[in-house]
Amino acid sequence: MNRPGESPTMATPVSDPPVLLLEGVRKAFRGHLGLGRAVAVDGLSLEVHRGEVFGLLGPNGAGKTTTLKLALGLLRPDRGRVRLFGLPPTEPASRARTGFLPEQPYFYDYLTARELLDFYGRLRGLGRAERQREVGRLLERVGLAGREGLPLRKLSKGTLQRVGIAQALLADPDLVILDEPMSGLDPIGRREVRDLILSLRREGRTVFFSSHILQDAEMLCDRVAILDRGRAVQVGRLAELVGRSVHWFEVTVVGANPEGLPAESVAVSGEETLFRVTGVEELSRLLAAARAGGGQVVSVWPRRQTLEDLFLEKLGREKAGRGTS
Amino acid sequence: MSARVGQANLRAPGTAAVVFAIAHATFREAARDRVLYLLLAFALAVIGAARFVALLTVGSEVKIVKDLGLAAVSICGALVAVLVGVSLVYKEIERRTVLTLLAQPVRRWQFMLGKYAGLLAVLLLNVIAMASVLAAVVAWKGESPWPLLPAVGLVAVELAIVTSFALLFSSFANPILAAVGTLTVYVAGHLSWSFELLRSRVPAGPARTAARLAHVLLPNLDRLDIKAEAVHGIPLPEGYACAAALYGIGYALVVFLLACLVFERRDFA
Amino acid sequence: MRAPGRRLGVLLALLGLVASGSGLWTLRALEPARRAADALLYLPNGTYLELLSVGQAPLLADLIYIWAIQYYSDYGREDRFRYVKHVFRDVIAELDPHYVDAYGLGALILTVEARDLEGGLELLDKGFARNPDRWILPYLAAWECSRAGQLERAVRYFQAAAGVPGAPSLVRRMRAGMTARAGDVREALRLWRELRDDPASDDLTRAIASRQARDLQVRLDAAELEAAVRDYERRTGRPPARLEDLVRVGILRSLPVDPDGRPYVYDRRSGKVTSAAARLLGGA
Repeated sequence: MNRPGESPTMATPVSDPPVLLLEGVRKAFRGHLGLGRAVAVDGLSLEVHRGEVFGLLGPNGAGKTTTLKLALGLLRPDRGRVRLFGLPPTEPASRARTGFLPEQPYFYDYLTARELLDFYGRLRGLGRAERQREVGRLLERVGLAGREGLPLRKLSKGTLQRVGIAQALLADPDLVILDEPMSGLDPIGRREVRDLILSLRREGRTVFFSSHILQDAEMLCDRVAILDRGRAVQVGRLAELVGRSVHWFEVTVVGANPEGLPAESVAVSGEETLFRVTGVEELSRLLAAARAGGGQVVSVWPRRQTLEDLFLEKLGREKAGRGTS
Repeated sequence: MSARVGQANLRAPGTAAVVFAIAHATFREAARDRVLYLLLAFALAVIGAARFVALLTVGSEVKIVKDLGLAAVSICGALVAVLVGVSLVYKEIERRTVLTLLAQPVRRWQFMLGKYAGLLAVLLLNVIAMASVLAAVVAWKGESPWPLLPAVGLVAVELAIVTSFALLFSSFANPILAAVGTLTVYVAGHLSWSFELLRSRVPAGPARTAARLAHVLLPNLDRLDIKAEAVHGIPLPEGYACAAALYGIGYALVVFLLACLVFERRDFA
Repeated sequence: MRAPGRRLGVLLALLGLVASGSGLWTLRALEPARRAADALLYLPNGTYLELLSVGQAPLLADLIYIWAIQYYSDYGREDRFRYVKHVFRDVIAELDPHYVDAYGLGALILTVEARDLEGGLELLDKGFARNPDRWILPYLAAWECSRAGQLERAVRYFQAAAGVPGAPSLVRRMRAGMTARAGDVREALRLWRELRDDPASDDLTRAIASRQARDLQVRLDAAELEAAVRDYERRTGRPPARLEDLVRVGILRSLPVDPDGRPYVYDRRSGKVTSAAARLLGGA
């Protein structure tokens, strides 16, 4: 559906009630045979506001999927409060304006894409004509037009993901919740998902998605929460969390004597020498010296702070030594 | 569309539409299950073959046709109810299709009701198909098939009970456990008289209470079995079939609600 | 679930409970009119049940056995013995031919409860034919015969039981005792002597056997002497004055002595002969 006369709402009025609210939510899972408990989410508080793209970031096992499921009422919190559009998520009405794409979605593989979307459309209370229009529009939007008659079991993983996205966009949702929407996709697929999220934001929808890849978040999110072992170690605007500054540069030089260059060599492999320099000035000095020494600069790689860096920093887990190489 | 501005239009779709959609999908899925056709074909073959078995006897040909036919209807119906029923909910959970489904504005009990209704529709069609063939064979033998109708009706009620147990077990156990559980209930239900016998035998105390409890709690499926009367044309006591149907339907309703309660509390991790 | 949903659920649950409860109540009220008592008639022969039991025939036999015990101990049933032979002989015994307890119990129900001695013996015969190493089966049969007063038959069963290798000496004692009770004193004496002289016999058995052999010896000798006394009286018109008279007239070749080696004591007035020991002890 086009939205005539609707302007992109980039800014988020703070006074608005949040689309999604989690307050001191805790969720633990019982182990096998009810023995032991694993705390998946521990005292998590979040607010997702209207019109923003909110990224839920963290390594595998941080509790991202659990959080999304709690938001949708698929899991019940042990403690705390969840409100979706101001209602408990167990209320179907709260989910009426929400679309959800699970991680690696599975569907009834004996159905075709059109049948599946038609089914979900019925569950969303769309009439026959509405369903036909909506399903056709979404198949077009996710690039499945022409393949809608194939049984789902014959579709590739990436194509299934498109079906999943189409399903999440049924009935014009205000909030779209995506669980690891880019994992398992090829570069083109990831690009498409990124574009999709950006266009959803342009349409004024709220997007709440999880990812373990910071690059995705960097390009898309207005705000992020970083989860680790069920706790939000950081919540805020992305730019405030992760400096966009470059930590250091890694420079590969061929054919120059490493001894004479104004930088510390990190590794030597055959003709190639790898240097690490911090700061732009140091870099230009190194480049000049390398050229003067008859060498050739093969590559310059600016090393930015990554989610992993931020994590290790936040959690003081530097000593594992993984952060520096 | 000013949907994004206010929250006034948060409205879940009506129960009837949702339940019908799920029931329809369930029906379609079950109708594509090969087990169903295998059993249906087997039952129809038995009913058809009964004619030839009847050739081997002296007299009472029609009785044998009726006996075999009714047995095929009830046994195949129960097997379909168990084999298809136990994986109904579990498959959704296992294959995680339940995540997308329950993320829709659907209540969990609506989901369960849709599943139950869908499978019941499959079973009912199954029973009708088998009973029609049986009726045709009986009519062809020159006897009226109508006296068999109450027996077939109570078989359908019995299947509703078996299905409700399949649904209940399938909402928290894997299909193998659920199948074992459902079959156990089926067999124990047909032997429910033995618990009454046991109750009168064991000394008063916990054992007797347990026997009494088992007798009351287990479905008294043997009381729903009026096949012998139907075949021999023995009149049933006044109101028996109605009371049996009332009992069975009420029982299935309670078990179904229990299944909903279990499902309502489930986490989908 | 929201409050209205929960209320609806509770309401429906109550409705279901009431419906099933009243249905069940009505069914139970109507049940006696429906169920014929000959449920057992439809219990198929064990040979066929075994086919249906998919390899669990002994278990099935156990179940039917347990169930039969319940069934036959229900004194409310008038006609409950109509199919007892069928259940035990054709069903349980076919399902598990080595189910010795079932033969025993079936026979007991048949003979004691159903007053069908022949049926019980038939069941025990069948069991013994299939379990020739179980002395208990003919042993039980012997007791059933003895209870019915058919002592010769009892002897034959005891004989069969005693013939089973490993049968306890009790069985052989019973056989000897029953032989005596049945009237074949000479054979009984032979059996007791055999027991007494068998090196395998334990002390108790040997003590019992030698006492029994003594008593039977006395009984035999006394009977022979009394018969001779009656013969003498028939020939001469009066009883002999002393036992030696019997030898003198040639009715007996010699006078037997009792197991202690003493002559038998003769009471001329009654014509009775007793052993000296019995006389001393004040016996018959």
